[in-house]
Amino acid sequence: MTTVAPAVPLARAARLHPGWVLAGVAAAGLAAVAGLLWGAASLPPGEVIRELVGVGSDLSDRQVAIVEQIRLPRVVLGLLVGGTLSLSGAAYQGVFRNPLADPYLLGAAAGAGLGVTLVIVNLGEGGLTPGYVPLAAFVGAVGAVALAFVLGAASGGRSSTAALILAGVAVASFLTAIQTYVQQQHQDNIRDVYVWLLGRLSTAGWHDVRLLLPYAAISAVVLLAHRRVLDVLAVGDDEAASLGINPQRSRLIIVVAATLGTAAAVSVSGLIAFVGIIVPHTVRLLAGRSHRAVLPLSMLFGGAFLCLADLLARTLAAPAEIPIGVVTAFFGAPFFVLVLRSRRMGVMS
Amino acid sequence: MITCQGVSVRLGDKLVLDDVSLTVPPGSWVAIVGPNGAGKSTLLRYLMGTVRGVGEVRLAGQLVAQLGRRQRALQLALVPQSPVVPEGITVVDYVLLGRTPHIRPLGVESAKDLAAVHDALVQLELVELADREVTTLSGGERQRVLIARALAQGAPLVLLDEPTTALDVGHQQQVLEVIDELRHDRGLTVVTTMHDLTLAGQYADRLVLLDRGRIVVEGPAAEVLTEDNLAAYYGARVRIIHDGDRPVVLPVREPRIVRDRTS
Amino acid sequence: MLKKTIALAVAAGLALTACGDADDDSSSPADPTTVTEAPERIVSLLASGTEILFAIGAGDQVVAADSYSNFPEEAPTTDLSAYDPNVEAISGYDPDLVVVDGSNPDLVSALEGLDIPVYVSQAPRDLEELYAEIESFGEVTGQEAGAAEVVAEMRADIEAILARVPETEVPLRFYHELDDLLYSITSDTFIGQLYALAGLENVADAADPDGRSGGYPQLSAEHLVEADPDLVFLADVKCCGQTAETFGARPGFSALSAVRDGNVVLLDDDIASRWGPRVVDLLDTIVSAVEAAVAGQPAAA
Repeated sequence: MTTVAPAVPLARAARLHPGWVLAGVAAAGLAAVAGLLWGAASLPPGEVIRELVGVGSDLSDRQVAIVEQIRLPRVVLGLLVGGTLSLSGAAYQGVFRNPLADPYLLGAAAGAGLGVTLVIVNLGEGGLTPGYVPLAAFVGAVGAVALAFVLGAASGGRSSTAALILAGVAVASFLTAIQTYVQQQHQDNIRDVYVWLLGRLSTAGWHDVRLLLPYAAISAVVLLAHRRVLDVLAVGDDEAASLGINPQRSRLIIVVAATLGTAAAVSVSGLIAFVGIIVPHTVRLLAGRSHRAVLPLSMLFGGAFLCLADLLARTLAAPAEIPIGVVTAFFGAPFFVLVLRSRRMGVMS
Repeated sequence: MITCQGVSVRLGDKLVLDDVSLTVPPGSWVAIVGPNGAGKSTLLRYLMGTVRGVGEVRLAGQLVAQLGRRQRALQLALVPQSPVVPEGITVVDYVLLGRTPHIRPLGVESAKDLAAVHDALVQLELVELADREVTTLSGGERQRVLIARALAQGAPLVLLDEPTTALDVGHQQQVLEVIDELRHDRGLTVVTTMHDLTLAGQYADRLVLLDRGRIVVEGPAAEVLTEDNLAAYYGARVRIIHDGDRPVVLPVREPRIVRDRTS
Repeated sequence: MLKKTIALAVAAGLALTACGDADDDSSSPADPTTVTEAPERIVSLLASGTEILFAIGAGDQVVAADSYSNFPEEAPTTDLSAYDPNVEAISGYDPDLVVVDGSNPDLVSALEGLDIPVYVSQAPRDLEELYAEIESFGEVTGQEAGAAEVVAEMRADIEAILARVPETEVPLRFYHELDDLLYSITSDTFIGQLYALAGLENVADAADPDGRSGGYPQLSAEHLVEADPDLVFLADVKCCGQTAETFGARPGFSALSAVRDGNVVLLDDDIASRWGPRVVDLLDTIVSAVEAAVAGQPAAA
C-alpha cells in the first residue's frame, strides 16, 4: 500500500447537474408560455405577448381579462400544484423507500375527500360557500396523516415505515368508507363531490394561488433542505442511526412538510392523481437516483408537466374541458413507458 | 477504550445478553466468537445504540448514553453484516455516506469530506471502481467498500459484524489484512464478530467467547480455543494444532460405527 | 268507449273516495289504455310528475311523493328517494300506480313483480311533447278534462308571452348555468328549446356540436368570457347560493358585459329543471329578461 496518494482526481459525488436544472427551468418556462398563448379563446399570440410584456396591445378589455385573470393564474397554479405534488411524491418515495409511494400514501386523499364531502353535504343547501371547501380539504388531509402517524407509532414501536404505511392504508380505507356512506345518504350531491375528486384547475384564480403559495414555499424549502438526509435514510433506519442521524425525527419532519404541500395543493385543485408518482420516477430514470437531483428536478418537471396537461385539458375538446386527471394519465403513462424502455435498452446494451 | 459493564438485553421474551462486561483497550483487536444465537450481533448493536438494554457503556471514559447520536457516530463506526445498498448508488456516494456525522444536518459535504472519501478509496484500492455501482461489485470488492465507508467516517473504533462470512478464503484473508493494516496505520480499535475461529485466532489480540448471552471465556486465542472449550460451548469435536503460537482449529470426524444389523 | 267508462268511474269514485280501493290487475307498465279504473293511491317518484298531477286535479289521488317533490305545497312529500328507490318502502304505501321516469328499469320490473302498476313518464323534448305528456297523465289518472284545461291554458299563456318577444337585428346570446363548474345546456335539451323559442342564441351550443355530452357540456371560463353572452341565467341559486355578485367575482368574469350591465338573472332551480305547467313561469322570466335587455335596462329584477 503506497503512502503517497497517486495523482487521481478528487472523488466526484453525485451532484445536481446544471444541465438538468436548465432543462427543467426551460420545460417549465415553455409550458407556461404555451399555456398563456393558447386556450379555448383564440387570442392572437403576438398580442398576448405584447400585453404580458407590458408594451400595450390591441386586445379588448375582455381579452385582457382572459389573459390576466383566467390564463395567467391558471398557468401559475398548474406550475405550483404540479411542482408541489411531484416534490411531495419524490419525498414520500424516499422516506418510505417505496417506489409505489405517492403524496396520498398516508391517507391525505381520503381525508380531503371526506372533509369536502361533509362540507358539501352540510352546507350545500344553504350555499356552496367556496371558502369552506378548500379549508375542509386541507384539514381533512392533514388530519388523516396525523391519525396515520399516531396509529403507526402506537403499533410499530418506533414507528417503523411498514407500520406507518399500513396505518395509512387503514386510515384511508376507514375514511373512504365514511365518505361513501355520507354520499349515499345525500345522492344529489354525489356529482359535486366526484367532480371535485377528479381534480381540476378550471376555476383557478389569483385567490387560489395566494392560498397555495405559502404552503408550497414552506414545503419546498424544507424538503429541498433534506435532500442529503433522504439519501442517508436510503440505507435503512439502523444504518442511518449508526451514521449519526435520527431517522424517526427526520421522517416526521419530511412527512409533515410533504403533507402540508400536498394538502394545500389538494385544497385548491382537488385530487389530481398520477403526477406525484410518475414524475419522480421519470426523473430518476433520466437523472439518477440521488435525491439531490430527484427532488428539485421533480419539482421543475412536475410543474411543467401539469401545466402542459392543463393546456391540453382545456384545448383538446374546447370549449369543453376534459378532467385533468384523465389527461395526466392518458399522456403521462405512455411517455413513462417510453422512458422506461429506452433506459432498459441502454442498460442491456 | 470502550468498556461495557453489566449489559443485559432482552428481545421479546428472550434474554439475549446477560450481564456482559467487556473492556477493549485502544488499538487492540477483539474478536467476539460463540455459537449461533449466542448474542454476538446483539452485543455489537447494543454498542452502536440500535438496540436498547440495561448496562453502562463508556467510550474513552465518557458514558455513551450521554452522547448525542452524531457524537456517537464520530466515535463508533459499524460495518454491518447485511447492509442495505440503495439501488444504483456508486462507490463514491456510498463511501461518502460515512461522512454523514461530519456534515451539518442540512448542509452538504465540503472539500475535506471529499478528501476523506478519496483517502479511504485509495487505502482500500477502490479508486478504479469509484464510479461503479456498488450492486455490480463482487463480494470481496463490496466488503472493501463497506470498510471504506467506515474508514471515511473517521471513527477510532470500528465494529465489524461478520466481515468475512460471505467471502472465499482468498478474499477473507485480503479483507482481514486490510483491517489489520488500517489498525496499525491509523491506530484504530477493532471489534469483530466472527464465525471462523482459526481466522479469529490469527488476527485478533483477544478472543471473547459468548455463549447464551454470557461471556464464558476470554483471553488470548491459545487460552480460548481449546478442545475442551469448543466441545463444551460449541458441542463440536475438534483438534487444535499450533501454527507458530497461533492455534488452528481442525474439525474432526469420528469414523462411523457400522452397526451389525444381523445380530 | 273506454275513456267514457273511466270518466264515469271517476265521477262515482269521487263520491266514494274514502273507501276506494282500486284493485288494478295490470301487470305490465301502465299503458293509459289498459288502466280500467282511476288510481286512488298514486305514489309519485318524479317531481315534474307531482307538479303535473296536482295541476290537472289528480292531487287527491296522490298519497305519497318523493323527497324532491316540493311543489305544490300540499304535495305529500315523504322520504322516498327518487335516485335510490326502496321498493319495500314504496309498496308500503299500498299504491295502485307508481309514477317514475325512464331511468330505472330495474325498479319498474321490481314493481311489476309485485303486481303494482307503473306509469313510466317520458321526458318531453319540446313543448308539444310536454302537452302530450300532460294529457297522458290525464288519461292515466282519469283527469282528462283537467289535463285538457291545463294544456289549453298553457298554450294560451305561452302564446301571449312569446308575442312579447321584441324584434332584434341580431339574436341576443345567453348562457344558462347549471353549476359553478360552468356546466350548461345546449339547444337540444327541453329547457334549451324554450330559450330558442324566445329567440335567444345559446353560447354553449358550440361546446357540444354533436351531442356527445348528452346536451350538458362543461364550458371553459375562457370561452365564456370570449363569447360574452348578453344574458346570463343562473340555475344554481337555491342549491348553491349563487348570486350575481358571486358570479361576477369569478376570475375574469368582471369583464363580462352581462355582469357590467346587470343582466345576470337568478332563476328558481326547480322551475328551471322540471317540465310541467311551471315552464310558463320560466318562459315568462326569460322573455322579461330579453325585454329589459333590449330596452337597455338591467334584466336582473
